[in-house]
Amino acid sequence: MPRITVDGTEYEVAEGRTLLQALDDLGVLMNGVDIPHYCWHPKLTIDGSCRLCQVEIEGIPKLQIACSMPIQDGMKVHTKSQRVQDARAGVMELLLVNHPLDCPICDQAGECKLQDYAFAYGVPHSRTQEPRRAGKKRVDLGPTVMFDQERCILCRRCVRFCREVPGTSELAVFARGDRSVIETFPEMPLSNDYSMNVADICPVGALTTKDFRFKIRVWFTEDLPGVCTGCSNGCNVHLGVANNRVYRYTPRRNDAVNQTWLCDEGRLSYKRINADDRIDHAAVRNADGNLVSVPYESALETAVARIRRVIETKGAGAVGMLVSPHATNEDLAVARRFLDALGSTQAGFALVRGRKDALLIKEEKAANAAGARAAGFEDAAPLLERVRGGAVEALLVMGHDVLAPAYANARAALEGVDTLVLLDTHRSPLEALAHVVLPARHAAEKHGTLTNVAGLVQAVQPAVEPVFEARAEGEALWRLGQLLGLRGFEEPHPQDRTGA
Amino acid sequence: MVISAETRARIDAAIAKYPKKRGALLPALHLVQEQTGWITPEAARELATIFDLHPIQVMEVVSFYNMFYDRPQGRHHVHVCTNLSCSLRGSRELLRQLEQHLGIEAGETTKDGRVTLGREECLGACAWAPVLRVDETYHENLDVDAAKRLVDGLE
Amino acid sequence: MQKVPFVTGYLTEHFGDDDYATLAGYRRRGGYEAARKALTEMSAEQIVELVKNAGLQGRGGAGFVTGLKWSFMPKGNDKPKYLVCNADESEPGSFKDRLLLERGPHQIIEGILIAAKATGAEKTFVYIRGEYAHPADVLERAIEECRAAGILGAQCLGSDLAHDVIVTRGAGAYICGEETGLLESLEGKKGQPRKKPPFPAQFGAFGMPTTVNNVETFSHAPHIVKNGAAWFRGFGTEKSPGATVFGVSGLVQRPGLYELPLGTRLDEIVFQHAGGPLPGRKVKGVIPGGMSMPILPVSQLDVPMASEFLRERKTLLGTGGVMVLDDTVCMVRVGCVITYFFRDESCGQCTQCREGTGWLNKIMQRIERGAGSLADLDILLDVAGKMEGQTICAFADAAAWPVQGLLRHFREDFEAHITHGKCPFPQSFEL
Repeated sequence: MPRITVDGTEYEVAEGRTLLQALDDLGVLMNGVDIPHYCWHPKLTIDGSCRLCQVEIEGIPKLQIACSMPIQDGMKVHTKSQRVQDARAGVMELLLVNHPLDCPICDQAGECKLQDYAFAYGVPHSRTQEPRRAGKKRVDLGPTVMFDQERCILCRRCVRFCREVPGTSELAVFARGDRSVIETFPEMPLSNDYSMNVADICPVGALTTKDFRFKIRVWFTEDLPGVCTGCSNGCNVHLGVANNRVYRYTPRRNDAVNQTWLCDEGRLSYKRINADDRIDHAAVRNADGNLVSVPYESALETAVARIRRVIETKGAGAVGMLVSPHATNEDLAVARRFLDALGSTQAGFALVRGRKDALLIKEEKAANAAGARAAGFEDAAPLLERVRGGAVEALLVMGHDVLAPAYANARAALEGVDTLVLLDTHRSPLEALAHVVLPARHAAEKHGTLTNVAGLVQAVQPAVEPVFEARAEGEALWRLGQLLGLRGFEEPHPQDRTGA
Repeated sequence: MVISAETRARIDAAIAKYPKKRGALLPALHLVQEQTGWITPEAARELATIFDLHPIQVMEVVSFYNMFYDRPQGRHHVHVCTNLSCSLRGSRELLRQLEQHLGIEAGETTKDGRVTLGREECLGACAWAPVLRVDETYHENLDVDAAKRLVDGLE
Repeated sequence: MQKVPFVTGYLTEHFGDDDYATLAGYRRRGGYEAARKALTEMSAEQIVELVKNAGLQGRGGAGFVTGLKWSFMPKGNDKPKYLVCNADESEPGSFKDRLLLERGPHQIIEGILIAAKATGAEKTFVYIRGEYAHPADVLERAIEECRAAGILGAQCLGSDLAHDVIVTRGAGAYICGEETGLLESLEGKKGQPRKKPPFPAQFGAFGMPTTVNNVETFSHAPHIVKNGAAWFRGFGTEKSPGATVFGVSGLVQRPGLYELPLGTRLDEIVFQHAGGPLPGRKVKGVIPGGMSMPILPVSQLDVPMASEFLRERKTLLGTGGVMVLDDTVCMVRVGCVITYFFRDESCGQCTQCREGTGWLNKIMQRIERGAGSLADLDILLDVAGKMEGQTICAFADAAAWPVQGLLRHFREDFEAHITHGKCPFPQSFEL
């Protein structure tokens, strides 16, 4: 394995890598070894046009760009010499000659690589008094992305991204010289399943998402780690949180799962967390047949009473559960424990399937179907048959995936049960069939793990706290188990919030 | 279809000369422009289909080169060199005179669609400055009156 | 356009005869005999050695030793190999290739055949600038004649070399004269130069090993094969042998083309051959090698026209495009013309070039308008310095050097603009 020295420190690197790639492989790029760069991106082809990553290499008279410089055994690199500093300052000054002074109105401020590198490596004063290149400042590139021509530093990351990742090539650089501008073809807007990634990779505020535009200053937000729950790929995300709200998802790099990307649909699924259609109160159906709001514990007691009646009249085997492929492995473990304690085998999970692609989007539209299968749960169809046949009188239902078209006649089957306890995060027509409704927690609101399609187990943690009382499915089931006096449920659930 | 059968045949003949199809794109753009005067989005789409490209890859090429146009042009191009040797010999004044004579500025087209006037970089005829190019023909050593007569003679 | 240079030599001596551009006329004067010798009696290695020993340097501006360039091509035949004839001539002040194309097309083809044998190339793409419609037609006709006569084709001149020549037209972009910018354009893309390495001999046209040579470079080859290396070295200087076709333009009595040995003094070219300045005027400065090359003041014209000497005066031979400026000329306006050109022609990839050419031009225009300050002169030099040696191709250097040259020798013109708030040369050419 080749060995190189960077600023006096020796590193062992892989063969066939460029300098930036090798340092990125080691996790030290911009994290111990600072080589600022714009056009290079670890997941795109090498460009070499921004010229910011120039470094000094012993034995080579001219500065070399680190992004395309192949590693050679024994190479000695200097990233902090005066020549390198001057070259960087030169590039920064030239980029700022035409860049508009938009920081006060630009979404990128606070996470802008032009600001960051100008501050760290640039010159403190501007010498230019020339009028800046004028361009269009609000170009509607497509349904998801807004473009400001003046802010663009022509790093071409977005062009390469569209060509190489989704393969849709909507963007190109037109004209030449200082009239170069990024454009789309008439009537072929930037519109692909991964379009919003261009806003992440754009180092400046030229490309911004319409969704996040003018919403909040990034320095008010905290980036917390999480996992997207839109499908079974389990893309890693940062949740941008402020004021106990999630304002956006941005990709969190994980080379084994999602590289540095998110699909647009998954990226926007953060909206589900603070959505208006969250189930925000527990409820029970009264004698008139209406759902009325009650305290959570009270709803649990109603559920317990009804389940106990079924157990007494029909036996514990008449109690079943539709678990959720959105629930965590820990929730599912409690569900398994509950069913085992009852001695019931009436269980399954409903799963919505949809389209998939060759990139990130997976067919299973839930984050933890693999976890559900690993916990011994099978598809809901056989269970629904048995419910239809009258074998199940009390059914705990997590989530409302069972209403999907794939489960024809599910409604008819569910209408017939004596007791339906619904644990769910969002409102749905299933509430009309429920006798007890219990607000559940989103993956962004609890601790737990999710297993993705490749079997990778990934952790989630609370990024926000619901403003209403909601419990993770596992917590709720544990309390139910406790109240029912099931064996194994004597101790409080580790995450019990009732204080009981 | 914007591209005529004849132009298409000539494009196919050009494609045969290159190891990769795309090598014939610039020749094809010249051929299409001979037919239509400029490259419309529709023409770009047709070329994209012929060359297995995204239309934007055709359009970005059009935008890069001086001789390809993405908007309607006059029937004739009159381009005056404004580079150094020609400027030294009065080409800028010549251009200004032509602007006045035609009633348009460099970069514009006369209302009757006859002439598009433009400035050009070095045409490679520096010893015979000032030089102007009318379509594919060079005119060298022109004085203002000769240039005006030349332009007036264009249909 | 003149048909014949004012001074001819081995390259242009027959250009006065119209039939020299035809196959019959060319053959009548011994044309294709050198190629026949190279193709049937010499090996590739022998040709390369010969051209190396002759010391021919590229005539497209970079001056790389031609034989050495040919030797970079891989020896095997597992991949097709190509030659490219760079006929993109767009350097302001340079117009020699146009003459060589129009009056000596067969000379070029003959040189191509010799290079093809030397490198094992199976095809040559002549990339000719889009504006050269007429020269392209002349060359196409000559190629057709050669195909019909078996000079090009499956067995060139009866040898076992198969070779064909394709003419492909550019569309108006100076940067397509840069080797790899040309290759990109040849492949149907924007002419944006490639990062090097890899070099064209490894990865060139359509990904195949390629050698790119200028029109004039090819034109010398038949004469070297016919007459030998020692003969070639009889012209020119030790480091820069051979002749070249100088193009003289600007404010001189006899602008035109002059075929002269390299090393001919610049003042001899300007004052003797080209007749000196216009009546009543004095020469102020001369750009020696096309507009990318830094200007020399009239006091420094006693320099042999060969890069090893010009380098000492902080300029280079380039394409030998001699541009004469006289004492009516305002050097700030010259600066405006030059910086505008580079700003217009930058391909836009590299930050220093894209933004630097724009900034230089904007400052230059502001100084010309009379709104400049002395600090601007420092900025001009500083920006030019930041553009050198840091980009994908040498365009940024070519854009920086003329500004450095103007400030080195004509700073007083700039200072006068600044202190007077306007152009101090009432008779200067207009912008």
